[in-house]
Amino acid sequence: MNHRGGWELIKNTWQSWLQHRGFFFLLAFGWMLPLLVYLFVWSAAAGDGTVGGLTRDALAGYYLALILVNQLTYSSTNWTVGDVIRYGGISRWLLQPLSPLYHALSSEIAGKVVFMLFSVPVTGLIALILQPELDLTWEQGLLFFPALLFAWFLRFFWGYWLALLAFWAARSDSLLALQDTLVFLIGGHLAPFALLPAWLQGPARVLPFRYMSAFPVEVLTGQLDRAEILFGFAVQIAWGITAFLLYRFIWRRGVRHYEAVGG
Amino acid sequence: MPEPIIQVSKLTKVYRVPERAPGLGASIRSLFKPVYRDVEAVTGVSFALQPGEMVGLIGPNGAGKTTTLKMLSGLLYPTQGEARVAGFTPWARQPGYLRRISMVMGNRSAMNWDIPPLDSFRVLSKIYRVPETHYQQTLDELIALLEMEPLLKKPVRNLSLGERMKCELVAGLLYRPEVLFLDEPTLGLDVAMQRRLRVFLKQYNQQHTVTVILTSHYMADVAALCQRVMLIHHGQLIYDGVLQTLAEKLAPFKLVKLQFSAPVADFESYLSAFPSAEMLPRENSHLILRVPRAEVAQVTAHLLQGLPVADLSVEDPPIEAVIDQVYEEGRV
Repeated sequence: MNHRGGWELIKNTWQSWLQHRGFFFLLAFGWMLPLLVYLFVWSAAAGDGTVGGLTRDALAGYYLALILVNQLTYSSTNWTVGDVIRYGGISRWLLQPLSPLYHALSSEIAGKVVFMLFSVPVTGLIALILQPELDLTWEQGLLFFPALLFAWFLRFFWGYWLALLAFWAARSDSLLALQDTLVFLIGGHLAPFALLPAWLQGPARVLPFRYMSAFPVEVLTGQLDRAEILFGFAVQIAWGITAFLLYRFIWRRGVRHYEAVGG
Repeated sequence: MPEPIIQVSKLTKVYRVPERAPGLGASIRSLFKPVYRDVEAVTGVSFALQPGEMVGLIGPNGAGKTTTLKMLSGLLYPTQGEARVAGFTPWARQPGYLRRISMVMGNRSAMNWDIPPLDSFRVLSKIYRVPETHYQQTLDELIALLEMEPLLKKPVRNLSLGERMKCELVAGLLYRPEVLFLDEPTLGLDVAMQRRLRVFLKQYNQQHTVTVILTSHYMADVAALCQRVMLIHHGQLIYDGVLQTLAEKLAPFKLVKLQFSAPVADFESYLSAFPSAEMLPRENSHLILRVPRAEVAQVTAHLLQGLPVADLSVEDPPIEAVIDQVYEEGRV
């Protein structure tokens, strides 16, 4: 692996993204809105009592943390990979002595920095107004970081292998839209996991979508006991490895197909 | 004779292309029963290039030029045949190989358009592992040769097409590749910029003995840069040799242009001594004669002797016309 080249590419992409910061700030704001809407909906439902065991302040803590975790794990890069393949831009990547994965990773890292420049202060401001409840223990805080890292890994590689289907299918990004919808519906966005109907909780517990953004927040906000946390990590890692292996498989087959048809 | 740096043997590429009739019904049928047709883009192409050679790969649109370059750069896997470039099999795309070659495409950019070229150059130098001292030295040299100092701090997006092409060339040469594939590098550029790039490529090739395969639709590029041309038609290599020889072989005549200082009555009967000399339509005030190469000396002597000639020149027919003839006939 050519890490120095990769690092230079990351710095460069970051500079390039900062040129368009207005656009990315607006994008980050757009991602925030649905979660804010559901924060207000569930807060209203909780009133002065609780809903699904969560008070209004606990819901505020959950959704505000989710806004940041969602943006840290969301892979906007994967939406552009399909175009790079379709329009032949990938030829450039293939001609460089650098793993093409670096091009996607550089956008990922650049994107996170630009999005956080906007989202951290805005979320902080909302937190000052809503005064969320967050009883943070050392254990929750320490477990949050690996959960966040695995969530990013899973969400990125899951989206990446779907995006790579563009080697064969013209509009593979519809599968990315499906992934986003499932994360929204059963991944803790529309409602925290505890508020899902029982028949949905079963699939949500074993499918990858909850582990792409809600799981680290549930760990951080102390909604899970130790057994649930361990189970969560096991599912998250298993899906992470599956997504990575699928990426490797699809990439190899895809490049071979590209070499056969000429891009 | 040194070992060839590029050795290509019976290279063949067949594409499998989906086909369907127009209309909604056909598009639905093709979903369930797709029909494919095999298209031979390149058929049994063989050649060898010595280090430092600069060769023009010419042919009409769809002849197989870009497919050949893509196979040699490693982007395409051939259906059959062998190729060795700088000691490597191109389509294995080993990092060592990718550091030895460069492919500059007139219609595709290696630059990041949002930032100034200097930033993109630095990234490329790291990707290609160019030592810092070499990087600065090479960059300074290329910038001086291409006269592009004022462009370095503007975002690439704000540069003109010609200025961007200069950047592409720097990006492609920054790591001093041994082999350079140039696919239509002067596409869309104005005449002055085309000429400047040609001068640069010639100088660079002489100074660094880089081996170059150039494809271009502008014969002026090929004529100015390449002694040797390879002509591809319908995927087959139909000529590999000196451009001048091709021109002489295909057009065994020269054009004699003349202007008189006084009116000449009955010029045609004066010329009847040379029945093989043919009058072509006038160009401005010049008469144009097409004369077999072997008779040029006699015809010009005859004209100068008996007529009030103010101006006379002997020229080769335009290379475009010669090449057009090959494209039309499909053979040499």
